[in-house]
Amino acid sequence: MQSKLEQLKSEVLLALKSIKNKANLEELENKILGRKNGELTNIMKGLKDLTDDERKIVGQLANEAKLEIEAVLQTKKIQLSQADWQTNLEKERLDITQPALPKIEYGHFHPNTIVQNDLENLFNSMGFMVLDGSEIESDYYNFTALNIPESHPARDMQDTFYVKNHEVDSETPWVMRTQTSAMQVRALQKYGAPIRAIVPGKCFRNEATDVRHEHTFYQLEGFVVGENITFAHLKGVLETVAKHLYGEDTKVKLRPKYYPFVEPGINGEVTCFLCKGNGCRVCKNTGWLEIFGAGMIHPNVLKQGNIDPSKYQGFAFGLGLTRLVMLKYGIEDIRHLESGDLKFLKQF
Amino acid sequence: MLISYNWLKKYVSLSAVEAKEVAEKLKASTVEVESLQDQGELLQNIVIGKVVSAEKHSNADKLKLCKVDIGSEELQIVCGGSNVREGMLVAVAKVGAKVQWHGEGMLIELKPTKIRGEESFGMICASTEIGLGELFPIKDEKEILDLTDKNYKIGLPLAEVLGLNDWVLEIDNKSLSNRGDLWGHYGMAREVAVLYNRDLQKYETKKILPGKDFKLNVEIADYKWCSRYMAVAISDIKVGASPVWLQEKLMTLGHHPINNIVDITNYVMLDLGQPMHAFDADKVEEKIVVRTAKAGEKILALDKKVYQLNENDLVIADNKKILAIAGVMGGMESAIENSTTSIIFESANFNAINIRKTSTRLNLRSDSSIRFEKSLDPNMCEIALQKAVELVLECCPESKVVSKVVDENNFSLPVGPIEISLDIFEKKLGIVIPEKDILNILERLGFEIKSKKGNLLVFIPTWRAVKDVSIAEDLVEEVARFYGYNNIISASLKLDNKPPLINPLRKIEKNIAVTLVKGLGYSEVDNYSFISESQIVKMGDSLEKYLELDNPLSKERPYLRRNLLPNLLENIKNNIENYSEVKIFEIGKVFSVHQTGARVDANGDHLLPRQDTWVAAVCAAKKDEAPFWQVRRALECIFFELKVDFETLLTDVVLSWEHPARLAAVSILGKIVGIICEINPFTSQSLGIDQRVGALQLNLSAISELLEKQSDKSTYKPSSEYPEVVRDLAFLVKKEVGHENILQAIQKTSELLKKVELFDIYEGDKIGEGYKSMAFRLVFADNTRTLVAVEVDAIMQKIKTMIKKEFAGEIR
Repeated sequence: MQSKLEQLKSEVLLALKSIKNKANLEELENKILGRKNGELTNIMKGLKDLTDDERKIVGQLANEAKLEIEAVLQTKKIQLSQADWQTNLEKERLDITQPALPKIEYGHFHPNTIVQNDLENLFNSMGFMVLDGSEIESDYYNFTALNIPESHPARDMQDTFYVKNHEVDSETPWVMRTQTSAMQVRALQKYGAPIRAIVPGKCFRNEATDVRHEHTFYQLEGFVVGENITFAHLKGVLETVAKHLYGEDTKVKLRPKYYPFVEPGINGEVTCFLCKGNGCRVCKNTGWLEIFGAGMIHPNVLKQGNIDPSKYQGFAFGLGLTRLVMLKYGIEDIRHLESGDLKFLKQF
Repeated sequence: MLISYNWLKKYVSLSAVEAKEVAEKLKASTVEVESLQDQGELLQNIVIGKVVSAEKHSNADKLKLCKVDIGSEELQIVCGGSNVREGMLVAVAKVGAKVQWHGEGMLIELKPTKIRGEESFGMICASTEIGLGELFPIKDEKEILDLTDKNYKIGLPLAEVLGLNDWVLEIDNKSLSNRGDLWGHYGMAREVAVLYNRDLQKYETKKILPGKDFKLNVEIADYKWCSRYMAVAISDIKVGASPVWLQEKLMTLGHHPINNIVDITNYVMLDLGQPMHAFDADKVEEKIVVRTAKAGEKILALDKKVYQLNENDLVIADNKKILAIAGVMGGMESAIENSTTSIIFESANFNAINIRKTSTRLNLRSDSSIRFEKSLDPNMCEIALQKAVELVLECCPESKVVSKVVDENNFSLPVGPIEISLDIFEKKLGIVIPEKDILNILERLGFEIKSKKGNLLVFIPTWRAVKDVSIAEDLVEEVARFYGYNNIISASLKLDNKPPLINPLRKIEKNIAVTLVKGLGYSEVDNYSFISESQIVKMGDSLEKYLELDNPLSKERPYLRRNLLPNLLENIKNNIENYSEVKIFEIGKVFSVHQTGARVDANGDHLLPRQDTWVAAVCAAKKDEAPFWQVRRALECIFFELKVDFETLLTDVVLSWEHPARLAAVSILGKIVGIICEINPFTSQSLGIDQRVGALQLNLSAISELLEKQSDKSTYKPSSEYPEVVRDLAFLVKKEVGHENILQAIQKTSELLKKVELFDIYEGDKIGEGYKSMAFRLVFADNTRTLVAVEVDAIMQKIKTMIKKEFAGEIR
């Protein structure tokens, strides 16, 4: 009996080797384990004719043999099934180089939005709130409050759009704001000090348009007022922004520049990111790009904002957002930005 | 403004310092140096030549074949100059020289060439082709530079004979707008002296010895406009060419020499920054009066144009006529001519604002007006006058001062002192600068410093006391810029202990932009805030609803948009040709005529117009006959992302560009905040758009204000453990029956009804005309038990009965 079982096992193992498909496997399974006439089934059936002692021993052996055979059959079954899938899946092969159909049209953010959002996030992380102001602004907030009195030559620098019936000489002159700095005094009046804020937004100058000039453009104004805010802090913030925009190696160079609403006033240049400071067409061979105007807020401006200049001081800076956009993407003509031309806009 | 490096060296020793370095330092500490030009560089390989022969080119009518003697050799050159002739002294650009064709474009290096079959070795230059257009203005484009009357030696480099061995710094005028003191070389030299810690030469002038023969009287009507007027008369003048050194100096800075007297006034202006004027004394009657013009008074100015003046313009006049527009330009009638023998020099100080207004109004900017409008130090009048007289006596040895030196003045300058404590520099700058450096910088700049109980009293030099330096912060700037901004070590802002305030409007703007771009494939555009009359008219709107610019750049677009649609529709028109579908949006401010917004200042009652931020999304596709559904979807997505429930309402207000039957007002929290609609096809057509256009407009400022009052309430509920029962229900109703009404009616029928959703609408042949088939999916559930079929059946029956009864529906 024992040897019969052993023989059966080795028969099965041998037979398995040559089995290549499910049908043959089922046949073998049937031959050995088939309920009616399976060889092992028959052995099991024969157990009842044995004595109790024999039955105990042989029964156990037969059971073990059965489990063993079932296991190898099962393994083979999985193997065959796997192989089966493999062949079938191969038939399902797709052209993975083909795009998904039907094609969907993606939307695009305006490049200005991309750059503005990026900077808003940066400044938010440094604790600046984001404000936006009026685009039609009073002559007072756009000029007078910023220490630019009537007839100051600085007003000459900015050719200003005025609104009809609120002309330059009227009682209440309204301008299209020429600078986001116009929001400074409004913010100081509303929030007081200490304050950290940026004001990204649209500005206007009455200037003929060409490849590099637009009457409508975007700026980002920022300012910080507190008890111990110094020029060194201004420099620190400008460096952070420059490194954020153009990488860790970027250097900032500051030079004096006159703006009536700051004292001292500076402009800031950063290492040209295209040529790494070696000089190229974009930086006009200087190795530097001028991107900031800044300075320590003039005490007269603080006073207009109801801030006591003997207690508080601070700095302000302005970035030409439109200029940053043009630099970032290498846009050759500023007029594309407000063209509404999808051939342009869908590239961003 | 142009600055000569050699001229600076007159006042500050710059041995072993290159011009380039000075330019860099000035840039870092004082002004914007736009360029640095080596005068000789452009003129390399350009020499004086004499035309030996000029014969007609055999193959070209307008060209001449010239032989030119340049000393070392004789060159054959083909020349197109209209005035070239034998014996002429000319500027010859040899092979290797760089020239600018017709004075435009890039510099081109000359090579030997053949022109119409004749060899040519160089070029006979026009002044504009070698950057000398200002020195030698041309009358006609084809004219070459004629140097015959200069008698220069043949073969000498042109740069040498013109004295062009200097470096010229071009300073950006804007960077000088607050620094009247820097508009002359002496002032600039003072900055350079501080930069190099070297001594500034004292500016020496001789006192004028007055004469008695000429009665010179000056009367100033109002010292407010003219705080000082100095004048002196000189006779026995011989008007003629200036000495070469003077001509060279002027030419270096782009000034065309005129005659000795005029050249001297220009020289003094360039030297000290003080504009001067010279009158022909014989043409001045009795006395000089400084007064405002009478309305309508006219003057023929030195630029040969007639200017009509008004009561705000300041003039220099005698008893009969206007001699000059004060500080702006002299008049022809009293101008210096070759026959002039006596002159009156004027050295005066005029009010900056007044000069600026006049020169702006007359559109007449002169070297003089540019300086006066920056505010000048009245003390300079005297030094300048002394210098000018000294130079005249030198140039015209027979001449003599024949009048007293008139000095009418009434001025006082706010020279301080400013009291500061030394630690202000550290307080403002965040670094410690040694006291001796601070004092050294200020004193070299001309500030006088006295100590007072541990504080400093700083006296402002007069040339800086004119609207430039007046407060402690100004002194901080002086010290910082010379100490070097780049030597200031940056510091980090400390983290605030409170997070920045959130701008709710920006949050909504960003949220919606993301939904439209990423969720729905809309592209963002950014349009001008200005629109045209034709746009407004085509929209069927009326002009009086729009604010208008007083001084628009283009007459075409003077109006301020009151909604975002006109420009967006223009975008559609411009893009639809290239795309089968155009889906765009804009977020921006619009301007209201009727509603008011922010205050114009902190105290007054005047208000600016309301300027709300809106989003508008428009879409059009070649095959889409009802893009209303596109914008309806956008609306649903937007409010889903904002987590706000909205309603669409029928509205009686139909604007001229709106499709009256495809239009809904959008409301949240009971307030209307926007519109979705199709554009009236009539409007689209008049705008040149053949497609149907869907438009969504939401007032984000209004939404932001409404939501600010809402708290961020969580709406989470655990889901039921018991299975849901889903049933579909379809029925026919008349087309005009509204979805919203049916929906609400169904929802009301049972507590167990958790969700009711329309999933299909059908209209067409298979059902009767004027009817539509609606199919709803109903979801039933109870959180406490499993529902049984019969109770759902009962509810379904109830709903069907209701549909039949209330909506005359026919269940399918």
